[in-house]
Amino acid sequence: MKRRILVTGATTPIGRETVRRLVEHSSVERVVAVGTDGDSAISDPRVEYVTTNLARHRSAHDLLFGLVREIEIDTIVHLALHRSARREGAHVRALNVDATRDLLKMAERHPTVQRFVFRSFSDVYHLRPDRPTIIEEDHPIELSPDAPQLVRDRLEADLVLCTAMGLSPLAITVLRMAECVAPESGSQLHDYLSSRVCLRPAGFDPMLNVLTVSDAAHALTLAATSEAKGVFNIPGYDTLPLSRIIALSGRLDVPTPGPVVAPLYGLRARLTGTDFRYDLNELRFHLGGVLDGRRAKEELGYVPRMPVDWDRRDG
Amino acid sequence: MGFLRDAGHGYDEFGATDAALERVRPVLEFLHDVYFRVTAHDVHHVPEAGGVVVVSNHSGTLPFDGAMIAANILFERERLIRPVADRFLPNLPFFGTWLTRIGAVTGSRGNVRYLLERGEGILIFPEGTQGIGKAFSQRYQLQAWRVGHAELAIQNGVPVVPVAVIGAEEQMPQLARITAGAKWVGAPYFPVTLTPLPLPVRYHLHYGEPIDLSAYDADDSRSLADARRWCGAE
Repeated sequence: MKRRILVTGATTPIGRETVRRLVEHSSVERVVAVGTDGDSAISDPRVEYVTTNLARHRSAHDLLFGLVREIEIDTIVHLALHRSARREGAHVRALNVDATRDLLKMAERHPTVQRFVFRSFSDVYHLRPDRPTIIEEDHPIELSPDAPQLVRDRLEADLVLCTAMGLSPLAITVLRMAECVAPESGSQLHDYLSSRVCLRPAGFDPMLNVLTVSDAAHALTLAATSEAKGVFNIPGYDTLPLSRIIALSGRLDVPTPGPVVAPLYGLRARLTGTDFRYDLNELRFHLGGVLDGRRAKEELGYVPRMPVDWDRRDG
Repeated sequence: MGFLRDAGHGYDEFGATDAALERVRPVLEFLHDVYFRVTAHDVHHVPEAGGVVVVSNHSGTLPFDGAMIAANILFERERLIRPVADRFLPNLPFFGTWLTRIGAVTGSRGNVRYLLERGEGILIFPEGTQGIGKAFSQRYQLQAWRVGHAELAIQNGVPVVPVAVIGAEEQMPQLARITAGAKWVGAPYFPVTLTPLPLPVRYHLHYGEPIDLSAYDADDSRSLADARRWCGAE
């Protein structure tokens, strides 16, 4: 069956790469790429770029029951989420959570859409010393009310999709991806490594797993073109300690007493306006955590192939 | 020779690295051969390959018993057995990180299952911190013997090899425990010991025959209870 696919967030690095790969895929005959800036990076007659604001119900409705119905789109790949950890409030939630829920509800009653693929994040997992280092899909999730909005939004959007699995007429696939170390992708680690000096909690050197844009797009393409459904962890090719990441990036690794790291990074963010938030990363920088990708390998055929180019950090 | 499965940068998923093992090997050799003068009996009961759960009594305030069992199997059987550490391990700065580099893993079911599924061996102390933290007056008295290792062995279809450690009980007599402030460094308590360093006691390791639990059914609660009782009693 030839696929006709809608990709939201198509002007982000992962979105652009996903659209490119989908167009090259033999089973895809049409792609509608939805973004906010109308960037038409790929000129192919099978790709149509649309500019719309998914946080507005009317715009999303017009898109789904206009162009999408007309083209007979059968699969939605939803990537449109706010990327900045510093931006908070109702307007951020409107895109992160409400738009996801809205899109799902409209897709459920849509005459042609049959499949919904959502890019989620490994941030939804709850890290604790007594939890496994290897994170499977049934790992406990981060339900702490003290979690930053970015995490709460990502979790809620993830749960919107997960709770609809089996009840919805759609085939739903949620890909919980490792952090994608690339610019403009909301990567906390990328921002952390943009400093010449990287403060690391003294005495801790957690194992981290990171993903490239290329592998993220590869996983999304597999999910969009397969029949698999459910939740899948999407690990990256690189599994290594934080100190090694800092060294490979050519940064100065400065082990710093734990209680001092948060205020120093808070000060850095205030002075320079950078996105890195230590409170978002504190547990990860102490305990680490590596996604177990066995389910994605078995059911999606996904195996990470592309190591991060640490000099450029753009995969 | 590499003992660990490299996840891409010289480390496995848990953070262990062959380079760290190589660095620590001379120290282990010194402790094993010279300081604790380990004598092992029937180490051939530990299979050379495949998943296995090695279980042992635990004592001595500091986990040199675990280090000596792991070293003995490393030297005699040329395989790395991953010591399963208590859940406070990841909270310990420096020491926790160092232990993970040389192969220790935190004691969660997910970690243990992952290792057994890929054919690695693990070392479990069913007494946990109650065993290693017991007072000198309780030496050679087994503490509550948890039986989760039997369930793990049944669920993963691997044998259990019991080990009795004799000697560690006297290495570092513990007189008292201080809990105040211990949480700051991620430990359950600070031990007050008679000696600041372990005494050069003689270690004797007795390996029992592998216990085959394949007759038990992981999905039958009565069968599992029998296995638990049996492993607890043994």
